[in-house]
Amino acid sequence: MKKLKFTDLLITIMIGVVFGVLMKFWDDLYTVVKPIMPVARQLLYGMWFMVGPFAFLLLRKPGTALIASIAGASLSAFAGHGIEVLMYGLAQGLAAELLFAAFRYKRYSILIAGLAGIASCLASFGLDLVYGYAALETWALIVKYGLRAISAFIFTGIFAVLIVRALEATGVTSLIRPVDKKEYTMLDQ
Amino acid sequence: MFNWFTPKRETWLFRVNPALKFIVFFAFLIITLVNQSLSFAISQAILYGILFYVFSGYSLKKLSLLSIPLAISFLSTGLTMLLFGKGEAVIWQWGLFKISEESIQHALLLGSKSLSFGFVGFTFILTIQPVLFFYAMMQQFRLPSKYAYSFIAAFRLIPAVTEELQIRRNALKVRNIQFSKGFRGFYERLQSYTVPLFAQSIRRAQRIAVAMEAKQYQMGAARTYYYPTRYTGIDMVFLLVMICSLSSAFFLSIYR
Repeated sequence: MKKLKFTDLLITIMIGVVFGVLMKFWDDLYTVVKPIMPVARQLLYGMWFMVGPFAFLLLRKPGTALIASIAGASLSAFAGHGIEVLMYGLAQGLAAELLFAAFRYKRYSILIAGLAGIASCLASFGLDLVYGYAALETWALIVKYGLRAISAFIFTGIFAVLIVRALEATGVTSLIRPVDKKEYTMLDQ
Repeated sequence: MFNWFTPKRETWLFRVNPALKFIVFFAFLIITLVNQSLSFAISQAILYGILFYVFSGYSLKKLSLLSIPLAISFLSTGLTMLLFGKGEAVIWQWGLFKISEESIQHALLLGSKSLSFGFVGFTFILTIQPVLFFYAMMQQFRLPSKYAYSFIAAFRLIPAVTEELQIRRNALKVRNIQFSKGFRGFYERLQSYTVPLFAQSIRRAQRIAVAMEAKQYQMGAARTYYYPTRYTGIDMVFLLVMICSLSSAFFLSIYR
């Protein structure tokens, strides 16, 4: 598997930073959905799991999910979300990374990306459990984390894949990904 | 914006090696996270509160401004747990809302934890210079320079990213773009912001990387530093003070 070059690394961290900035502004959306708050809040939560899987879908190299997740979290931490998001970023990124590793970094489908999101969701649930958030009534727990997992799948699977495809259409990904063998053979014809 | 972060006076915390400070504070966060004892959580919150209010060196006005989000997070984390938490000894119930002795305890535990997180985080952010932090991570903790420089470079681009986001927002507003309702709308919103933003940021990051390599930035090469960071006597004092105060907070919470 290809190792990360300096360009890849800088782009990965940049993606994390852009997501960090976006997440800061994403808070505004929370206010838009205020009337239906508790449910909608959980359904929008998937955005916070997106950064790692998104970076991997774009660069397709090992390590990117983890690094982008840490970068996004450290930006959020500096932007005033509190330094504990670093722990969440680390755990979520690691979970997504492990899931991609389980498929030997060779699968980029909606299903796998969505599963990576759910893995991140599980990791954050684990941390919440230790933190003490999870001492809720069982019904509240199931509703909260069930909705969150659904949202994770939608954001990291469907939305991330669609956005990466839209980015591919802009041609910017040709800066990152190595040229295919197919494209070389096209030159010979 | 960055002027805001100039302290009124530079306390001893500013002179501690930033990387060492990060490691110690991160350990504090993990201790706060795993701790389940209410009295220890409260004494930790008090300890970190002293760090924040007394030793961060900022004016009371700024500190109280920063306390607002802390108070909000204390209330919001506590309140949900108070109303929906598990518990047998019910004190008050109304529909789905239920307050019990256990849920009060849990709410206080969560609230103190979130206060501790807030105090530690703010104290760290207020008393370091980000660039020196990365330099210290490279020099004292052997973080590969490619990571440190990538972080520094990417962080330098935050103002550009925020500006682009504002421009994009205004452009969408001027064109009176209407988004659909429901999840589709969220996707449309997300896509219309992220695609131009990412395209631009990826191009920019790639150009910077190429420029750095053209100027002989080599991954993994041995290097010298413009800002040397090292351990000094104050680091020893810092370590000792932190260990002593944390352990005294621990013992006080046991033998009250």
